[in-house]
Order: sequence, then C-alpha cells, then structure tokens
Amino acid sequence: MGILEVTDLRVWYDGLEAIHGIDLSLPEGEITAVIGSNGAGKSTIIKAISGMVKRSGKLIFQNRDLPEKSNEIVRRGVVQVPEGRKVFAGLTVEENLRLGAYTNSHPKEIPELLEKQYETFPRLKERRNQDSGTLSGGEQQMLAIARALMAKPLLLMLDEPSLGLAPILVSEVFNNIVQIGQSGTTILLVEQNARKSLCICSKAYVIENGRIVIEDTGENLLNNKEIANAYLGSSKRLSCN
Amino acid sequence: MVLQLIINGISLGAVYTLIAVGFAIVFTILRFSNFAHGGMISACAFIGYFFQRYVKPTPPFALTVIFTAVCGIILALAIDFFAYQRIRINKSPSIYYFLVSLTVAILIEQILIVFFGTNMYGYPAVFETQTMQIGSFRIKTMNLVILAVSLSLLFALMILLNKTKIGLAIRAVAIDPNTSRLMGINSNVVITTVFAIAGLLAGVSGVFIGMQYSVYPSLGPTMMLKGFIASVVGGMGSLGGAIIAALFLGLIEIISTYFLGATTTTIIMFAIMLGFLFIRPQGISGKFAEDKV
Repeated sequence: MGILEVTDLRVWYDGLEAIHGIDLSLPEGEITAVIGSNGAGKSTIIKAISGMVKRSGKLIFQNRDLPEKSNEIVRRGVVQVPEGRKVFAGLTVEENLRLGAYTNSHPKEIPELLEKQYETFPRLKERRNQDSGTLSGGEQQMLAIARALMAKPLLLMLDEPSLGLAPILVSEVFNNIVQIGQSGTTILLVEQNARKSLCICSKAYVIENGRIVIEDTGENLLNNKEIANAYLGSSKRLSCN
Repeated sequence: MVLQLIINGISLGAVYTLIAVGFAIVFTILRFSNFAHGGMISACAFIGYFFQRYVKPTPPFALTVIFTAVCGIILALAIDFFAYQRIRINKSPSIYYFLVSLTVAILIEQILIVFFGTNMYGYPAVFETQTMQIGSFRIKTMNLVILAVSLSLLFALMILLNKTKIGLAIRAVAIDPNTSRLMGINSNVVITTVFAIAGLLAGVSGVFIGMQYSVYPSLGPTMMLKGFIASVVGGMGSLGGAIIAALFLGLIEIISTYFLGATTTTIIMFAIMLGFLFIRPQGISGKFAEDKV
C-alpha cells in the first residue's frame, strides 16, 4: 500500500476527458516518475492531485481520502512545485519562502525551516532580500522547490522542474531532487527529461494520451528498447552518468 | 496663504487616499472596479451623521468614527456575502463583478434617497475650537484631525500588509491567485479580509467627507470618482501609487478651486486622468512583473 493510492482518476477540460481513468500507487519514501510526450496529460495528473483542476476518482493519502480543495490538500502535506516555477515576482525570496510555510501554525518553526532551505540552497540565502522576479531561471526553480519544502511536505510533486533550464542547471536540480528523496520525502516527478527521471526514480509510469501504457521500475524502463526509441531519443542503452 | 492651502490640500488628499486605497485593494485581489465602494461611503456618511446627531449623550467624535468603521465593515461583508460571493462560486466572468458593483452602488443611493430625500444634512460641530493657530497660520482643527487619522490608518494598513502573515497572503493572491492556492492559502479568507479593510476605510472616509462637505445620497459616488481617478493615475492595483496620486489630487483640487473655481477643477481632475491614460496608462507606479521562462 503506497502513501498515495489513486484509482480511476479522470479529468475533464471543458467537457473533454483528458485523463481517462488512471491508477497510481506511490511507494512511501521513494521517487516515482511520470514520463510521456507533450500533451500526454502528465502535468494534469499533478494538477488533479493538488486540486487545481476538477477531478473524479478515488484518492487515498495515508489511508484517508484526499480533500478536494487545494488549500486543504496542502495542509495534508501534499505539496506541488508548479510548472514554470511560478515564484511570486514582486515579493522577496524570503517572503516567497514564508508563503511556502503558510499552513504552518507554529511561527517559531519558521526561522529553523528557513535556515534549512538556505543550507540546501546557499544561493537563495545570498539573495534573500532580492525581488524573486529578478532571479535567473535556475534560481527561481531552486526557490520554487525550497518554497514547497517550507511546507514540510510528506509528498512533494514536481511538475517539469527542468523545463527551460541550461543543462548544467538541470543536473543541479536533479541532484537536489535526489537529495530531498534521500531525506525520506515521497516524490512524484513529472518530466520531459525521461532519461534523467528514470535514472533517479524507483518506479515510473509512461503515459500516452491520458492513459498509462507502462508501469515498471526506472531501471527496467531504461533498458526497454521501445521506451528508448520513443522517449530517450536513441535505441542504444544510455548510462545514467 | 499658500502653506495653508497646501495643508488643506494634503488633508483632503488624505481622505482621498482612504477612498482610493479602499477601492484599489479590492481591485488588486478581485481585478474589478468596485463601484459599490461609493455607495458604502454614502451609507457610512449617513450612519455617522445620525449616530453623532441623535445618540444621547452626544458621543465623542472618536466613538462616531469607530462605530461607523464597524458598520462599514459589516456593510462590506454583507455586500460580499449577498452580491459577490455567488459570482465566485459560479466562477462567472469578472464583468459580472463590475455590473453587480454598479447595481449595488445605485441600489444604496436609491434606498438612501427613499428614506432621506436628496436633501443635504450638515454634521453638527464636533470640535470646540474650530481652528488652530500654528505659528502664523490658522488651520481648521478638522483638517488636522483628518490628516492625523488618515495617515495613522494608512500606516497601520501598511504594517498589516507588510509585516503580518495575512498581509503576505493578500499580496501573494494579488500577484498570482492560482499559485497562492498551492501555498495552502484559502482565497475566501483573503477576500473577506480585503472587504473588511475596504469597509473600514469606507466607514472612516464616509464620516470625514460627510463632515467636510455635507451628507447626501450621491456624496459617496461623487467622492469615489476622485478615488477612482487616483487609482487610475496611481496605477490600477498599486496601493502605493494610489496613495501618492490621491495626495496630489487633493492638493491640486484645493489649489485649483482657490484660484480657478470648483467647476474648472472637476475638468482638470478628469483631464489629469485622461492625460495619464494617454501618456502612461500603467500609472505612476504600475509595473507588472514579467514571468521568467
């Protein structure tokens, strides 16, 4: 039994069904990846879990129903890092982080949480009083992740964290994700960078046109010829390093 | 003489800032021009008038202001509950907000006319000394009180917005309502708080302009127009810009009324707004941060 069990998840956009009844099971404390091409419905899954789009289906988080309202979902410890960072431009880096801890009702914990994020992302500490809109794309992604961590998530969902980042920053972001995973947080990773995702996840789903077509371990999928052809851009076996 | 005009102008401008901020803060969150704000100001001006005039023993002025502010908050929350909430629940387009706010403004004005006619009611004098001697200047006590209360209120509001958790949430929702939901912010709490702030400001400004001029049903809408101009000139949705613009408008109004007369002044006010819309449509401080891809 995973920390989050999703059964028959369906999502509609303007009356059109975009996700056609998918089942997911996220093992606790591990990284699960969802890969697939553009428009397959990867991001929609995350948006549905965090209550940003209307959904139907059964979502059981830690043996209890997951609420429907996004603000209540965050309170249960299910936190999303949205696609395109979505930092609050106009607010400082530190204010962004404080917003991440909005659901935390113990003000005394905030300085400690801040310090923890600054330790993981030292660059954010240097820029703590800077307008977050002036950060580079990579720094904004760090901020978006740190902001989500401020909520002390039990399940962290990342929507395309490597989108639009320079290759060196992509590696840095993935290293961060592995680090967060090692600290015991369950992670759901939705990515276009299939190879890197498969390398760091323990379990992966391949999604096509709103349906899950394959479910396997990351390693098996890396060695799967069809997957390699379709998503990894080469039929040769690719190493993770 | 000039300094006296300036102080009167700033004092008038201070009331305009209360109106403009009450108007703008709703705009920052819900992205519509809340014309019902003018109706609330009229209603509060009447509430303050009757409280001050007919409650015996005559209450101290401070109590009248507080009582009216509380009534303003209740009124604003009631308008939100009965008129606006349904628009949010049904996820209707923002134009509905605009139409409903106009409807509420007209409704309040007409109800006031039904009960009190279009007569003007003058506030009783509340200060024993009507003028104060500062150096060689003679300044109306009322103007000084208005200036002091308005500035303290604005200061308190800035503290609320910049130093408290709910203030941070309000600013976040103003920037990006969807991402705010991902932070666990309940938009209903933010919207209720914003309407409470708008109601409080309408209450206080209603009493002040009721005393400055006299009380009549279309007082609020007339004054709201000044707040609206200040919001546009300051940059829609920018509280700082609205404050600066409102202070300047107050100054310009007093000086221009003195030298050119009241009719010309109204033309000048609108000319300023149109000028800004032509030259700098984003207003004094209006700048929208761009997303980095």
